This record gives sequence, structure tokens and C-alpha cells, in this order.
Amino acid sequence: MSDRKQNLPQLYRFCFLMLGDLRKAQDVFNTTLREAAVRAAQGELPKESFWLFREARWRCLEASKMDLQPESVQIDEHDIAPQAASQIKQLEPAQLAIWISAAPDPQRTALALFYLDEFNYVEILDIAELKLGTLSRCLAQGRRQLQAWLDAKHSGASKE
Amino acid sequence: MRTLRLLRRRRALLNCAPISHDRLADRPMRAAVSRENGSDEFVNQQNFDRAVAELIRLVPIPPESAEWFLDKEAIRAPRWTWRKIVLNPAVLAISIAVVVIAGVFAFHLLGRLDDFPGSATARKLLTVAGSTRSVMLDPVSAEAGTLSDLFFMKHGLEHYDVPEEFADFQTIGCRVFDDDESQRIAQIWVGEKHMQFFLFPAERDTKTGAVLTFPGWRYVRQEGWVGAVKQQNGVCFMAVLKGREKDLEPYLSGPKE
Repeated sequence: MSDRKQNLPQLYRFCFLMLGDLRKAQDVFNTTLREAAVRAAQGELPKESFWLFREARWRCLEASKMDLQPESVQIDEHDIAPQAASQIKQLEPAQLAIWISAAPDPQRTALALFYLDEFNYVEILDIAELKLGTLSRCLAQGRRQLQAWLDAKHSGASKE
Repeated sequence: MRTLRLLRRRRALLNCAPISHDRLADRPMRAAVSRENGSDEFVNQQNFDRAVAELIRLVPIPPESAEWFLDKEAIRAPRWTWRKIVLNPAVLAISIAVVVIAGVFAFHLLGRLDDFPGSATARKLLTVAGSTRSVMLDPVSAEAGTLSDLFFMKHGLEHYDVPEEFADFQTIGCRVFDDDESQRIAQIWVGEKHMQFFLFPAERDTKTGAVLTFPGWRYVRQEGWVGAVKQQNGVCFMAVLKGREKDLEPYLSGPKE
């Protein structure tokens, strides 16, 4: 397996973005790798590329099934602002992870995989088993919703 | 309609435009990005994406999970070595099968190398020689070379002549019989080393009926018996004894193969 397909720090970050919780992310990451080590010892490692990410994704979705599910409400969407980059810089990584993990799937998977900056869109379509139209919609909507959240957060902060 | 679909696809690709330029996956993506490069909307999107990606790169890795990074080999598929490949049951089974097939092929090929017209009949007669007892033959005490007259006069067998190399040997008995292909076979038993002679029709071309000839003496072997075959005038003569080729060699003259 090439180092890119086995980029373990990125695999951990993916779990963290999917779950938004340090302990759960660690659990899923460790379980995925333990299982992979057992399969490697038995010579039964899958041949597909990025299977570790695919496995971790299913474990994350499974783990979050038990959690409280977000109510389906209309989330605000704003156009991306020129100052968005500076707004994002003021965030903590954990805040962003919590925001992404609260998104419904497949948007959550799409955002997590895309913002890892590890895969091209073809690879994301493969790992997340999505079509281009769905991935495009998930990302475009995600950006606009994140912008709305950033705007709300900053307007709230400036009022205080 | 087609233009609309193309525009929609380009929009979809732009929404998935990579954050790092080295992740431009294919030509449609490269085309979409280069067409849109510089537009305010796309620049905003790229800055936004880059900022999010940079923030995610700051996600700290807990030391417990970082331990896995030191042991990447644990989740790597084991490397194939020559020893492993050779000992793989499938490879082993295929190799054995190939060796067996090659062995059978070589055996048949070597067998064929000794073949000559009439060799099949000669081999069958070696089996006959092995199972013949002297009592089964009519007792005849004469020089082997004189029996060709007997075969012609009594059985109508023309050119059933014993070659001069064996013509002086004293006979014990002889007989004429039909083999399983209804060919007339003459069998002679001589005192010298309990040798037997066989005379049988030479093989003919199935289409033209012409006699298939071969030069000099040829050997055939079967179950400890050896025969030296010579063809002349459309009849094959075979001298047979239990032993090896070197036991027959002193009796033969002319080219041996």
C-alpha cells in the first residue's frame, strides 16, 4: 500500500471530522486499524484503494447512529464572503469538526473527505459511493451553510 | 439543451474543484478550473476551501493514536518472496501438473524418436516372443536361411527371407500365424542364445499402398526384450532376444540406428 493510501494522520482526522468527538474518533480509528492488522496478518487485506477510509467511514456512520440525531430544520445559507477565510481562521479545529459531524450523511462524508485535501474528486466519489451531482450539491450547500454559521457566529460575537 | 447540460456539469466540477492544484484529477476538471480561474466567485470559493483545509490540518493527533504511525507495517500486506510464491499451494499444484505433463510429453516424444514404419507391429511381436514356448512351434532342424522356401511352398509367403547375418543359425522350430490384423507372421526359434526371428509384412502407405521403407537395422525394446528390425523386399525381419541392444549388436552388419 502506498503511503498516500495509508495516510494514518489523515485517517484519524477523517474520523474526528465525521464524529466531532475526540474519544469516539480515537475508538473508531483504533478499531479500524486493529481490524486491519488482523486481516493483514491473515493475508486478507482488501485490494481496493483507500479501503481503510471506506472502512472508517462505515464505522463512523455506525457509531453516530446511537447519538442524538439533529432535527431536520431549514439551515440558513449565505453566499461565500470575501472575508470568509479570516472568519475561518478564528475557529478552533474542534468547532469545525463538530459543525461537520452534525451534517447529515452523505454531506458529512463529502465535507470530511473533501476538506482533508487528500483526495481528488474522483477518489471521493469512489470512497463515498456518490455521484458527481450529489457530491457537488453537498459541497456547495455545505459552503453556504458554513458561511451562514460563520456570519451568525461573528455577528453574535460583535454584539457581545 | 446540450449546452445547458455542459454548463451544469462544469458547475458541478467547479463545486468539487480541488484545494491543491496537484489534485486536478482529469482533463474536464482542469478545463473547468482554467476557464473559471480568476472569477470572483471562484476565487472566494478557493480561499474559503483553503482556509477550512488549513484549519483541519491543525487537528491534533492524540499520542495513543499516533502510536499506530510507527507501526505501519502491521497493516501492510505481506510482501511476496520467491519462497512464498513457490510454496503457495496453487503455484505448487500448477508446477507439479506442468512437470507431469512435460514428462509425459517427453516420454512420448522419446518413444516417437525410435519409431519407424512397422515399429508398432514389431513391439507387439516382442510381447509374442515373451509368451512363446518352444513346444508351440513345429520342430524344424535346419539352417534358418533355408526356411524361406518352406514359407513360400507351404504358406505362399513370398520374400520371407532370413537375412544373411542370421541365415546360418540352426533352427529348433517355426510356425506361421495370423496376428490381430490378419497379417501373416512367420516365427522361427533358433538355438543361438534362444533367439527368435519374426518375418512380417512391411507397413504400407494407406493411400498409395507403397511399402514404407527405412534403411539398415532399427531397434525396438519392450519389457526386457530387444529386437533388431530390417526391411527388405516389402517384408520386415526381426531378430529378438531377452536382453539389451549390445547383445544383438555383434550379429548385425551395416548401419544400425
